[in-house]
Amino acid sequence: MTAATALTATRHTRQSARRLTLGAFPAGRLLRHVILLLFALYALAPVYLVLLASVRSEAELFSGPLSLPWPIDFSNFSRTWTESGFAHYFVNSLIISTGSTVLVLITAPLAGYAFAKLDLPRKELLFGLFLAGLVVPAPSVIVALYGNLQKLGLLDTRLGVILPQAALLLPFSVFMMRTVMQDVPKELIEAAAVDGASPFTTYVRVVLPVVRPGLMSLALIAFLFSWQEYLLPLVVLQADDLKPLTVGAATLQGRYGVDYGGIAAAGTIAFGPLVVLFLVMQRSFVRGLTAGAVK
Amino acid sequence: MTSQRTAILFVLPALALYLAFVGLPILQVAAYSLFTWDNGSVTGFAGLANFTRLGGDTVFWTALGHNGIWVVLTLAFPLMIGLLLASILAECSPRTVRILGAIYFLPRTIPLVVAGIIWGWIYNPMFGLANWALDMVGLGALGGAWLAEPSTALYALNVVGAWTFFGFCVLIYLAAIQAIDPSLYEAAQLDGASWLKRFRFVTVPLLKPTTLFLGLYAAIEAMRFFDLVWVTTQGGPGYDTEVLTTHIYKTFFLVGDFGYAATLSVVLLAIVLTVSGVSYRLLRSA
Repeated sequence: MTAATALTATRHTRQSARRLTLGAFPAGRLLRHVILLLFALYALAPVYLVLLASVRSEAELFSGPLSLPWPIDFSNFSRTWTESGFAHYFVNSLIISTGSTVLVLITAPLAGYAFAKLDLPRKELLFGLFLAGLVVPAPSVIVALYGNLQKLGLLDTRLGVILPQAALLLPFSVFMMRTVMQDVPKELIEAAAVDGASPFTTYVRVVLPVVRPGLMSLALIAFLFSWQEYLLPLVVLQADDLKPLTVGAATLQGRYGVDYGGIAAAGTIAFGPLVVLFLVMQRSFVRGLTAGAVK
Repeated sequence: MTSQRTAILFVLPALALYLAFVGLPILQVAAYSLFTWDNGSVTGFAGLANFTRLGGDTVFWTALGHNGIWVVLTLAFPLMIGLLLASILAECSPRTVRILGAIYFLPRTIPLVVAGIIWGWIYNPMFGLANWALDMVGLGALGGAWLAEPSTALYALNVVGAWTFFGFCVLIYLAAIQAIDPSLYEAAQLDGASWLKRFRFVTVPLLKPTTLFLGLYAAIEAMRFFDLVWVTTQGGPGYDTEVLTTHIYKTFFLVGDFGYAATLSVVLLAIVLTVSGVSYRLLRSA
């Protein structure tokens, strides 16, 4: 069912529901709305709290967690950004997340296409290999990965985070891309072949443009997960000027246990871009997240 | 033949990257677990000696128990709440669905490290929101140092885990509900079925595959989560929030016992692969 028919369907049920409860006191509905709002509060209160704390001056720290900070004080942000090195951490997060995302975007759609549309030998076995990777916990490979990166000279380099990060994202990405590629019309691919296009040209010129929404979803999710990763950079990177935001924020918490304004600002810098990205691209995000789950 | 070769070339980049940085390390970890190590180099063949050590490792069993509790709590709380909220939302206007869906999912976009820091404050015994709110409603006596007390630490952390996860459940359930044939609901309504009855007899049974999927997802995440514990309690107080991943991390980086850290990794891998293998069968037949 398409999204449009699903929406009209829900609207339809809603109207008939209204008709049926007419006259009766809609206590059930009131209760249901209260439940919706309570959980909205659960979701938002901590975010609200940290935003307030990030613009609260030190003098106001103990005036109650929910009191509105006044005057609004941005010095926490400037201090965190310049003195605590968050400008570096931010750039590192950007480089590492973009690097992993690009690697995933190059490799996963190719593989997904082969699994969905090409005559791949031992297809079941290979796909099973990727499927098994869906559940592999990063901490369980770290013991060997650490030594391997050391031998390759990748320890304490951003590339040493980017490569394993992309590899860990691949099972989900290949799985999702196979689902996306299955919807590409066979006729389209055959028509290109008849016109004499090579398989790779067909893939680049015909297939990729068709699956662009799927690629967008994949890019967003890969970026989100890379940005959130903590263990890999924690283990691989020792030099402070290479660390991403997650590691920086955790270190800051340990180092200055009392600079709450600074930590709140650091937290806001760490999640702000993701929240904005999610709110702007909500539709793409949701499509990607539900792609593997519903089918 | 040429078309097969093309197909292999298409898979190769992903396969190479995946095998080099995930596949190979898994095999290595399995091999490492069979040796004794000192200071990063092999000192001898251990056979299954590392595995027999598991029996007497009380921290391991404690950690495993905590992962188990985490699985149960995740299945009981975020999953059920997700189902409930999604079924209520399904009857709201598309605009409400979009706005509330975004709000519920918002915590999932926050890195777990940051979530841990934020909630660490909420639980702070001196100025945290949790004790402050209890004070406001006259229950100040119930307040405490949530993350520092053995009896509450794990559960207090689970509230944070649920916070980042329930919105994901709402979205997945919502997508599944919207794929249910609306005539089923209309028929139930014409028969005079209340909201609760429709929920119980239409929504819940039809969503069984979705529940299985989310249950599997939740169980796997509950076995492998690390960030949240590491940034808040590091497994403490004592070993009261120790989980398998923190035990591995400590054994590897703090104790430096490569062989035993590898053994613990193998156990963790065996658990998640078994759980997912069994569930995959269930999902396929559902």
